[in-house]
Amino acid sequence: MRKKIKISINGESVEVEKGTSILDAAKQTGVIIPTLCYHKDLCIAGNCRVCVVEIVGQKRLAPACATPCEDGMDVLTNSFKVRNSRKHIIELLLSEHNTECTSCYKNGGCELQLLASEYKIMNQDFINLVPFHNYTIDMFSPSIIKDDSKCIRCQRCVRTCAELQGVNALTMSYKGDHAKVTTFFEKAMNDVVCTNCGQCVNHCPTGALVEKNYIEEVWNAIADKTKHVVVQTAPAVRVGLGEELGFDPGTRVTGKMVAALKRLGFDAVMDTDFTADLTIMEEGTELLTRLKGALVDKNPTIKLPMATSCSPGWIKYIEHMYPNYLDHLSTCKSPQQMFGALVKTYYAKARNLDPDKIVSVSIMPCTAKKFEANRPEMHDSNYRDIDYVLTTRELAIMIKQAGIDFLKLKDMHFDRLMGESTGAGVIFGATGGVMEAALRTAYEIVTGREVPFDNLNITPVRGIEGVREASIKIENTLKAWSFLEGVELKCAVAHGLVNAKKVMDSIVSGKSHYHFIEFMACPGGCLGGGGQPIPTSPEIRAKRAEAIYAEDEGMPVRKSHLNPEVIKIYKDFLITPLGEKSHHLLHTKYTPRNRF
Amino acid sequence: MNVNLENQVDTKIIDEIITKHKGKPGELLTVMEEVQEANDYKYLDEASMGYISSKSKVPLSQIYSVATFYSFFNLKPQGKHTIIVCRGTACHTKGSKILLDDLTTLPGCKDAFDAGETSFTTDDKLITIKTVACFGQCALAPVVAVDGVIYSNVTSEQIKKLLENLQEENKDENIRLS
Repeated sequence: MRKKIKISINGESVEVEKGTSILDAAKQTGVIIPTLCYHKDLCIAGNCRVCVVEIVGQKRLAPACATPCEDGMDVLTNSFKVRNSRKHIIELLLSEHNTECTSCYKNGGCELQLLASEYKIMNQDFINLVPFHNYTIDMFSPSIIKDDSKCIRCQRCVRTCAELQGVNALTMSYKGDHAKVTTFFEKAMNDVVCTNCGQCVNHCPTGALVEKNYIEEVWNAIADKTKHVVVQTAPAVRVGLGEELGFDPGTRVTGKMVAALKRLGFDAVMDTDFTADLTIMEEGTELLTRLKGALVDKNPTIKLPMATSCSPGWIKYIEHMYPNYLDHLSTCKSPQQMFGALVKTYYAKARNLDPDKIVSVSIMPCTAKKFEANRPEMHDSNYRDIDYVLTTRELAIMIKQAGIDFLKLKDMHFDRLMGESTGAGVIFGATGGVMEAALRTAYEIVTGREVPFDNLNITPVRGIEGVREASIKIENTLKAWSFLEGVELKCAVAHGLVNAKKVMDSIVSGKSHYHFIEFMACPGGCLGGGGQPIPTSPEIRAKRAEAIYAEDEGMPVRKSHLNPEVIKIYKDFLITPLGEKSHHLLHTKYTPRNRF
Repeated sequence: MNVNLENQVDTKIIDEIITKHKGKPGELLTVMEEVQEANDYKYLDEASMGYISSKSKVPLSQIYSVATFYSFFNLKPQGKHTIIVCRGTACHTKGSKILLDDLTTLPGCKDAFDAGETSFTTDDKLITIKTVACFGQCALAPVVAVDGVIYSNVTSEQIKKLLENLQEENKDENIRLS
C-alpha cells in the first residue's frame, strides 16, 4: 500500500495516498472542481486551466488535475482569487468559441456551456475572436462532423485518437494562437486514417466533434405512409439508452426501448441480436472450415488466425494499417449489415412487402456503423441494405422530441421473424462477447457437449484488460470433427484499437499463434462505443458490462444455434451456413486503404 | 524554368537520410530537415512525409504537427531565392511594415499576406517572401535576410534594390548596401 499523506482542502483535513491529484483528493471530500481537458480515460494534459486552485503559500494558482498532493498542503478551491481566475479562464475560452449555443447540436450537452451557466458569464469582457479566424466545418464524413469554431483545444480528441485508439488521425498543428486540431495536411476526416469510431465525439466536451445525425431523415421516413419503416437495435443500446433518459448507468431498458420505438411509429421493431446469432452460425462455421483447411488440408491460402469482422471501426483500421492481412478477416458482414440484407429480401418476402418501400433503420452504439452502411458493397439486397443509422444518443433525442415519458413505459417485446435473440447475441455488446458466443456454439457443434465452463459463462474472455487470451482443449469430438481431436483452440480478445495494434503487431512479427481473435474498435466493446451516452468512463463501462451479462443470464436460450428464428431462417431461406444465399447476402470483402 | 509541383524526393535519398540518423536523439527533426533540403523546392511534400512516416513509424499526423510547429519547415514549394522580413517589435517600430509593403508589390503577394499567410512564392518559383517573429538582431533593426545573408538598418530604397538584384539574370552575388 502506498504512503498516506494529509492535506487540507478548504480547511477540511483529508488523508490520501501519495500521488493522488488535488482533483481526486477534493472529490473524496465532496468538493467538485470543474474540469474541461481532464478525462478519466486519458492522460493528464493540464491545458484548459479551468481546474486551477490556490495552494496557500504559493503565489501561482495550480491546476488541480495535474498537481499531486503533498503532505501538509493547504488547498483552497473556492477563494476569491480562484473564483476570479476561473471566471476569467472561462471567459477567455468563450472568446475563442463560437457561442451560437441555441443552434448547436451539442446544446444542453456541452461542458463549456454548462460551466458558463454555472459561473453566470453574462457579459463578455474579452473581444470575440471567432470572426477573426477562418474556421472550417468538415462535413464530408458520413459519421462525424468537425467544427473548428467550437474547438477549445483541450486536445481530448487528440489524446483519445492516440492513446485509446492508436489511430492518430487527429493531431495538434501550428502553435500559439494559431494552434488547431487537424488531420494530416488538414484533409477531411473522410480522407485520412480516421476509423469513424467516434471516440473523439464521445470525449469532446463541446460541439466541435459531433456525430452526423439522421434524425430528420428518419422522422420523414416514418411520416411517409407509403414506406414500411423497420428498425433494429444493437445489443449495447439497451444497456446505454437509459442513461440519456433518466436512469442510472447499467440499467437494462430493453422492454421500454421496444415500447418507445413502437410509439415513435416504426412499423416493425426487431433486434440486431437475431443477426448476431446468425453471425455466430456463419462465423463459427467459417472458423471450423478454416481450421480444417489449415490443419488438415494444409491449404496455404487459408489464413489463421481468423479475426472477427463485427466492428466497422476495426475493419477500417485494419484496411488502413494492415492491408496485407485482410485475408485474416472473417468474410461475415457485421450483424447490422446482415440484418439490412435480410430485411429487404427474407423479411420483405415473408411479409409480402415491396423492398423498394422498406426503409431500414438501425440504432447503434456506434458512429462507424454510419460509414459501414454507406459502403458501396453494402447493396446486396439490390437496394441500400441499411438506409439510416442512428446512435443511442440520437434515439434518445427522438424519444424526447416525441414527448414520450420513458420511465413510465410498459415493457414490450420485439416483433417476430427477426426479433428473437439469445443470450449469446446479447453479449456481442461487450468485449469478449463475440468470442464467448462463438465458443458456446462451435464447441457444441464439434463435441456435442456444452462448453466446459460453469453455467456457460466463459469468464477468461470477459473483463477489462486490453488484451485477453484463452484456450480450450477440444476432446472427445463427434465423428465428423475428429480432425480437431486434441487441438487446443487458442483465442484472443482485444478492445480499443491501441490494443488491436498490439495483437496485430505480434501476429505480423510471427510471435503469436492464435486460431481466433475478437477485435473491437472501442474500449469495452460496443457498450463503450462512440455513439453511446456521454460521458462514458471506466466505471460506467463496467456497469454497462454487468448489465449485458445479467441480460444474458436472464435469457431462456443462451446459445446462438438454438435461436428458433435462426433455425427457421436456415430451414426456410438460407438452407445452410456458408451456403449460396449466405455467401451472397451475409458475406463481404474488404478494401486495402493507404495510411494517410 | 521547369516548374513541377508534383516534385517529391526520391525515396532512395530519404532512405539514406533515415539510415544516417537512425537511433540518434531528435532523429525525426534532422530527417525532416534534410529531406526538405533534398527537395528541389526546399519544402516537405506530402509524399515524402508519407514515406518518412511509413519508415519511421511516426504517425503521419504527428509529422504534420512537427512540420507546422517549426516555421523552418515549408509545406509549399519555395522560390529559388528567399527574402525574410523581420516583423518583431523592434523592427516594426523601425518600419519593417514599409519594407514588407515594398515587397508585396509582387503580383499576388499582397493578397496572400492579407489572407493571413506568412509566406508567399512567385508563380515562376523565383522568389519567396516570408516574415519571422524575430531574428534576435534587434539592435540592427529593421532586419531582413536574403538567401541567408542578414542585412541591417534596411531602408525602402535598399530593399527594392535587393529585390531587383534577385530578379536580374546575372545577379550580383556579393551585393553591398551602402
